[in-house]
Amino acid sequence: MDNTKIKSHVWLDLAVTLFGLSVVSYFYYGERFLLLSGVCLGVSCTAEIICSKLMHKKFDDFHFISDAMMISLMLPAVFSLKIAGLACIFAVIVTKNIFGGKDNMIFSPAAAAYVFMLTSWKDNLLKYPEPNTKYQAGEKITDLVYSASHNFNMEGKTDISDFDLMLGNFSGASGTVIIPVLVVSAVVLILRRDISAGAFFGTVAGTVLMAFIIPATDDIIQSAKYSLCMNMTLFSAIYIVSDRRTAPEKDYYAFFYGLFIAVISYILIITTAQENAIVIVSVIFTPVALGIKNLENKIRLAGENDGNLRGEAESIE
Amino acid sequence: MNKDKFSVFDGLWKDNTILSALMVISPVIVCGNTLRNALAIIYAFSAITLFSVVIASFVPKNLPYTIRTIINAAIASLVYIPVKHMAVGFFPDVIPRTGIYFPLLAVNSIIILHTESKFFKMKKPEMIGSLVFYILGFDLIMLIISVIREIFGHGTLNENVININFISGLSEPFGGFVLLGLLCGLYRKMRSGNRISGGDKNVSDN
Amino acid sequence: MFLITELIAFLCGNLILNQALGISTMFTAAKDRKNLIGTAAVITIFTTFASAFACFIDLIFPQTDIRLLLYVVAVGIIYIGLLFGLKKFSGKNFVKYRKYIHISAFNCAVMGTVFTIGGTAENAGFFRYISAGIEAGAGFVLASLILTAAYKRLDSEKVPPSFRGFPAMLVYLGIISMALYALK
Repeated sequence: MDNTKIKSHVWLDLAVTLFGLSVVSYFYYGERFLLLSGVCLGVSCTAEIICSKLMHKKFDDFHFISDAMMISLMLPAVFSLKIAGLACIFAVIVTKNIFGGKDNMIFSPAAAAYVFMLTSWKDNLLKYPEPNTKYQAGEKITDLVYSASHNFNMEGKTDISDFDLMLGNFSGASGTVIIPVLVVSAVVLILRRDISAGAFFGTVAGTVLMAFIIPATDDIIQSAKYSLCMNMTLFSAIYIVSDRRTAPEKDYYAFFYGLFIAVISYILIITTAQENAIVIVSVIFTPVALGIKNLENKIRLAGENDGNLRGEAESIE
Repeated sequence: MNKDKFSVFDGLWKDNTILSALMVISPVIVCGNTLRNALAIIYAFSAITLFSVVIASFVPKNLPYTIRTIINAAIASLVYIPVKHMAVGFFPDVIPRTGIYFPLLAVNSIIILHTESKFFKMKKPEMIGSLVFYILGFDLIMLIISVIREIFGHGTLNENVININFISGLSEPFGGFVLLGLLCGLYRKMRSGNRISGGDKNVSDN
Repeated sequence: MFLITELIAFLCGNLILNQALGISTMFTAAKDRKNLIGTAAVITIFTTFASAFACFIDLIFPQTDIRLLLYVVAVGIIYIGLLFGLKKFSGKNFVKYRKYIHISAFNCAVMGTVFTIGGTAENAGFFRYISAGIEAGAGFVLASLILTAAYKRLDSEKVPPSFRGFPAMLVYLGIISMALYALK
């Protein structure tokens, strides 16, 4: 049905870039982040093995590693381990293997798992520790704050300096705020064709375009900068919207897919202050991606038929 | 659906109203999130369906299909009136919570579609027996789903608090969709398992 | 911007995705484009006319249990009217198209719409009823399109046999509904 063949090394490339983000997160938040990441990986691996056994399939899809790392990086570093584990089970079983696994991907597992947590544990999910406050593995944490994105969405301004913004030195999901690493990851993954360049540039273009049309702050440039760096926009643009398993195949279509996701997310943030709206919108846009893929398949089949007919006509001549 | 020999017990498991035929699933998805809601829905569904189908079986068969369908629905809406009045006495706090789903039970697929295509083709005693098991099949699954959703969605059972970490989303309609989908899959797996071990040979996975 | 926020509000208030009304019919409708157009058109006609009838019923019999019977009679009149209309105008195609009317008549999406808007006639007015009917029909179309986009994948051989078809569709709709809930 779907002609997209995901190269086997993609998960590894994604995992390497996510590992970079995880290392920085460890320096910001200490051992507690490592524990969270470990739980996500362990639970996802177990769930994937069980699914492979039940479905009588070879255990050869290692995307669960990158998905688990994404989930851990989208969470507050001190997030409940039980809930994180549950979200990983949901991601591997409900959003992936029930639909047939890697051969029939419908949702981005990390995005769907994030939305799953958002609907049941919103208060836990959207409160974060301050950066540079390292936590031990078993430490009980009480002094949590709202994210910088929340404050920016509510007030339309922020006092974070450019230096701190670049270093990711502000409260938020541990892996989604480290801008330099995210930029390098985007470049590497696009060059290695691991993510959909069209979807990535579409998302960035959509966000910047909206920041110019309806600026979130008084200054248009500031508006574009903060809109890209906050609300998980850049992280989602790389790892969720541009996920080759779910995004349209052709860059042309993928660009518009990303563009519309970004535009709608931006409007949601402006009108309802919905934190991390891009993750939710990317799940809602799943039918759109599937519709575009169906269209791509039809065009491809029509092209093949046309080619066959021409070949037959030439052979008759 | 099944070409096996007909049995009046089919509705309980083999041709279950919810899991096999996917009928009357809206109240399960939306209202089946606590035991008390479920009991109210079970009471209303059982009473309305049983009395409506039995009364409707006396409607002359020579009337056109469309007229018979409208009469069946009208009979169910008349049966609904005393059933609702009694429900207000039994479940005073639940009826407002179930909202539009309570009256909608009167136009459920068993009354509107199954009566003409299935029940009215049987002899009366056989029809009543089969109908009872179809109703029991619905009641059983509604009960199971609501208990699961109340325990894991609200952290309570029959409104008594249980010390459990709960997933509040499970009590919302989307939780109902996902859980029902999972249970349907499990049901098919169990039935295909029976088939392999020499049980049912006509389970369709499509 | 206004259009997008309205579209999101429309999606969030969708009868099928949020209230699970008319799901079985949608599963049938989403199979192919022809079915979808036929069923959606008939459901929209039913919801619109039934809402118009419901406005008068609610004005005369506000908040009484007899309303259900009157709604059923109203839908019954539309049911017969549509069949007569189809027979008169479609000629030979009557047998081909009447199935859409039969499956839509006492559908939960139709009855649910009149009950959702029901009881508010004095405050809402006739045109609010009509618009609620059209909105419900459009909501059905939208939800069916959402399902149609994934239908082949959810019914494909790649899906485990136990989950192929309806179970996978329920889970799929559940996840979309979950994302819409997160926006509320």
